[in-house]
Amino acid sequence: MIRPEEIKLSSEENGKWGMVIDQDICTGCQACVAACAMENNISFVGEEDSGYGRAMHWIRIERFWEGEYPEVKMTPRQPMLCQQCGHATCEPVCPAFATVHSQAEQLNLQVYNRCVGTRYCANNCPYQVRAFNWRDYQRPEPLSNQLNPDVTVRRMGVMEKCTFCIQRIHKAQDQAKAEGREVQDGEFTTACAQACPASAIVFGRVDNPESLVSQLAHKGHGVKHLEELGTLPNVTYFKGG
Amino acid sequence: MSEQFSRRDFLKLAGVGAATTAILTGCGPASRYVKREPYMQMPEYNYNGQSTYYATTCRECAAGCGLIVRTMQGRALKTEGNANNPLNLGKTCARGQATLHGLYNPDRVTDPVKRTRGSASTTAVDWDAATQVVADALKNNKPEEIAFLMGMAPDHLFDLVTDLANTTGINAPVRFGALGMFESRATLSKAAENLFGEARMPFFDVGGAEVVLSFGANFLETWISPVSYTRGFVGLREAKTKLRGKFIQLEARMSSTAGKADEWLPIRPGTEALVALAIGRLASELRGGPMPRAFSSVDPLDAASKSGIKLEMLEHIAELFSGSHVALAIPGGSALGQSNGLTVAEAVLALNAVADNFGKPGGVYFSPLAPNQTAYQSPASAKEMQDFIQKMADGKFKVLFVHGVNPIFELPASLDFKGALKGVEQVISFATFPDETALESDYVFPDHHGLESWGYQRVITGSNQSVLSGSQPVVSPFYNTRATVDVLVTAAQLAGGAFATALPFKDEVEFLQSKVAPLMSEADGFFSAADLNTFMASFQQYGGWWKLSDGRGVPGTADVLNRNMDGAEAEFAGEGEFFLVPFVSPTLAEAGANKPWLQELPDPTTTVMWNTWVEMNPETAHELGLEDDDVVRITSEAGVLEVPVYRYPAIRPDTIAIPYGQGHTAYGRYAEKRGVNPTDLLVQHFNEAGDLAFAGVKVKIEKTRQEAASFPP
Amino acid sequence: MIKRIFDWLKQPLGLIAVGIAFLALFSVAAYGLYTTQQAPAQPIQFPHQTHVAFGIQCLYCHPNAAKGPTAGIPAQAKCWACHQQIAKTQTSVLLAPLKDAVLSGTPIEWVPVAIVPDFVQFNHRAHIAAGKNCEECHGDMSKVTIAQNPQVMNMGWCLDCHVKNAGEDHVKLVKLTDCGTCHY
Repeated sequence: MIRPEEIKLSSEENGKWGMVIDQDICTGCQACVAACAMENNISFVGEEDSGYGRAMHWIRIERFWEGEYPEVKMTPRQPMLCQQCGHATCEPVCPAFATVHSQAEQLNLQVYNRCVGTRYCANNCPYQVRAFNWRDYQRPEPLSNQLNPDVTVRRMGVMEKCTFCIQRIHKAQDQAKAEGREVQDGEFTTACAQACPASAIVFGRVDNPESLVSQLAHKGHGVKHLEELGTLPNVTYFKGG
Repeated sequence: MSEQFSRRDFLKLAGVGAATTAILTGCGPASRYVKREPYMQMPEYNYNGQSTYYATTCRECAAGCGLIVRTMQGRALKTEGNANNPLNLGKTCARGQATLHGLYNPDRVTDPVKRTRGSASTTAVDWDAATQVVADALKNNKPEEIAFLMGMAPDHLFDLVTDLANTTGINAPVRFGALGMFESRATLSKAAENLFGEARMPFFDVGGAEVVLSFGANFLETWISPVSYTRGFVGLREAKTKLRGKFIQLEARMSSTAGKADEWLPIRPGTEALVALAIGRLASELRGGPMPRAFSSVDPLDAASKSGIKLEMLEHIAELFSGSHVALAIPGGSALGQSNGLTVAEAVLALNAVADNFGKPGGVYFSPLAPNQTAYQSPASAKEMQDFIQKMADGKFKVLFVHGVNPIFELPASLDFKGALKGVEQVISFATFPDETALESDYVFPDHHGLESWGYQRVITGSNQSVLSGSQPVVSPFYNTRATVDVLVTAAQLAGGAFATALPFKDEVEFLQSKVAPLMSEADGFFSAADLNTFMASFQQYGGWWKLSDGRGVPGTADVLNRNMDGAEAEFAGEGEFFLVPFVSPTLAEAGANKPWLQELPDPTTTVMWNTWVEMNPETAHELGLEDDDVVRITSEAGVLEVPVYRYPAIRPDTIAIPYGQGHTAYGRYAEKRGVNPTDLLVQHFNEAGDLAFAGVKVKIEKTRQEAASFPP
Repeated sequence: MIKRIFDWLKQPLGLIAVGIAFLALFSVAAYGLYTTQQAPAQPIQFPHQTHVAFGIQCLYCHPNAAKGPTAGIPAQAKCWACHQQIAKTQTSVLLAPLKDAVLSGTPIEWVPVAIVPDFVQFNHRAHIAAGKNCEECHGDMSKVTIAQNPQVMNMGWCLDCHVKNAGEDHVKLVKLTDCGTCHY
């Protein structure tokens, strides 16, 4: 009998789910960051742990400075999230196989119940998008009423990161299957893309040439970050202009 | 027990035993047994484990964006934008996302209470007694001794109190909000009145423009209707039918909005009017013809030297304005918060006359009036608040009702709202959260959270269409709170007389229906219905009612340029060597500090979380011997603050900037004792339209020996 | 002090004492473990077999199993719809909790029997759609009073069935053995 890990479906080069982010229109407003936290039950860590860099943003908006006053410029805002690499550097270093590649969805999975908290994956991620639960962060009652029942609540000692809202992917697939059809392009989207007031984030199937996201991704001036490392990222950025 | 074996050793051994037991048992899979409470009566159309979605209106600021809230088994799980609502078209900002942290905030006011002012301890009262207290307050005082102070949103409660005021002679409700103060809303509508003859909120069609020149308007952060203006910005940038638009921002400190501009011009505070007029003059020269009176007295070279912007740059901008481009100039933010703010607003609006863009795509319009609105209602300016506070202090008001606003925090301390409260015999707050003003009230009769409430809200600006956003409860009230409209309606019946006839309603919903019913007969609606029940069902389903046509007005342009305009510099209060620019925190705004996830959003420009900072040019900091996190003492004529330094590369060396949003002394565990409130530094200094000259203050800076708690230490 | 304890422990009496202490500790631990494995008492000794014997389908009371992720426990209004017409409901001691709950408007707190840990996202709909019958996982309800799990619901048990079901269909096999299908 053939073993599941020996089967190759859609290729890692092409990916399956992808995202296009237009930095020219991203205003850095943080709506995606808040939307992500609300959708994915991300804990807030408080002032002190934030100061130690332990805030658990799955998506963050990077901005850099260019030049000196008065010719100083802010570089285009750069929303940075897990790039869902085809050849992810986080995956081979996990001793517990908690950071694994999903053959079915072509995503980098983080299996919370397997994670033992070695943090090798975070050290090996060139995009620095992984967040570690340094404590059991408290949600005073009744804040927990808001928790999304479709997403596991993580506890201390577990690594976490952007999942491309896999719970929404599954929900849409389940809904489509129940109705006996395929998932339509634009039928659902991730929490960040849905909130973005500028619609700077577009999510969808990159292996479907008809989808909006793959048409945008092949427009020509898209950039994939740290592509030279051979990570095969699935997020395409438009730098501007 | 043997004498060698002490009690202490026994306890140790027992401890080890207990720990072993705990370890062995705690890991057992069955430690997960839980109890489940199913519905007693399953609501219609509900299934276990499936979400129900409700349309309502976001109450985090006064813009009035539509929301769709996902709920499951009576809990609200996630807010999304309402794609039907023409204002936000399915989008939300960060504050809209975090609204659930308000609904389920651990520090809400849970019950109606009576308190001794300023004391933390309260005694619970029941709602019957509470309603009686309100009824007595209405009945036992003369109408002119009753005042209402409300939040900035023009909502159904405002209409109810306005109706009450019109029939019973109590004071008309006053609306105020810190956002309106920092946006100088009264100045905007006053400038429109002076130039166009109508006091209305202008709408700037950023999306249709090719060149946008913004004088301090932070329209991508919190300015009036940020979600819809962000959509406009996308239109400006996207090269679909026209060139990729150019965006230039003039302000002393690079805001998050200016960070998106092609050019940021660090203008010297107070010279905005001069620069606007100079650009107007240069553009008129390029265009030829007689020089308009408005620009005839200004000298561009003088403007360039005073403002610190090179003449070539002014000429460049003038070229963009006079050329074939669709150019748009927006007045806002700190440019209007000067002693000559009204002149700035008029001069910048006059620039649009040079570009000849009034009522054209990419130009200036009047925002459509909301469906049940006859005239634009500006919120109170700081000057009007000063008069209001004076009346309070003089004992002219015997009872003050406060709803939806936290004036002790939102107004500058120098206006002394807190002190003036002593002149008011009875203060009744309807606060949802235990804020500073609720702490200084005699009674707190908590209103529901916005997601638990009925209502509607007029959309002031942001959409081409005329929009009334509707609210409905998406979850049952979590605590023993009651809708303020219900309290007032019941109290009015108890009070009898004119009050009872003014509010002849059974409850909030009946009042709401009476206000919405006239829309049924209006043409051109997003939906229509023959009877009220069907109409209300659609109103709830779609989250409001709006017209389908473009309802924007065209400003009259007769003599915009044919007026004398004075390019004199603004006057500054205080002797210090630094201009102070307070700005609204893009993530917290005026009421976000109690929501932990908003606290943990990095500021878009500095990435600071959970605190206040003062932005200072690195050169200035170097001269003063300051590093990041060094605490400085900032002194104005009104007060002193101690704030940690953040060296910010994009601010004028003679300017410092402090975000507004922190510095609460009450308002729940996440807001209290965190950061400082820059309005403590603001003096009673106003512009010609009565708005606060919040950017018209000069301050001194001293180094202290302290260093802010920084992590890692 | 410590040395004197060790000396005392090395003599025969001491060794016996150590043995007794160890046994006592072990039994306390074992008992603790045992108690955590016991489900808390159900509010009503719900007789599944009686209801099944009347010919009531599973989906009548748990309709959402075919529609969504959770089957759900029925609302007490649903119980009452039938039970208020049954004379025995008024007199039976066993049914008193139901009567009390409905009349006083307080919810009944049930203890769910077939549950998976929080980090497993289980979906009933997909399993019903794949042609599974309720009893294949939950056992024969015509034989039990309070529902019991006929097997330990762990991952090995899930995967055994998933692999068997996929057969030679590679796409299905990958989907059904993907970590992300259940864990997120």
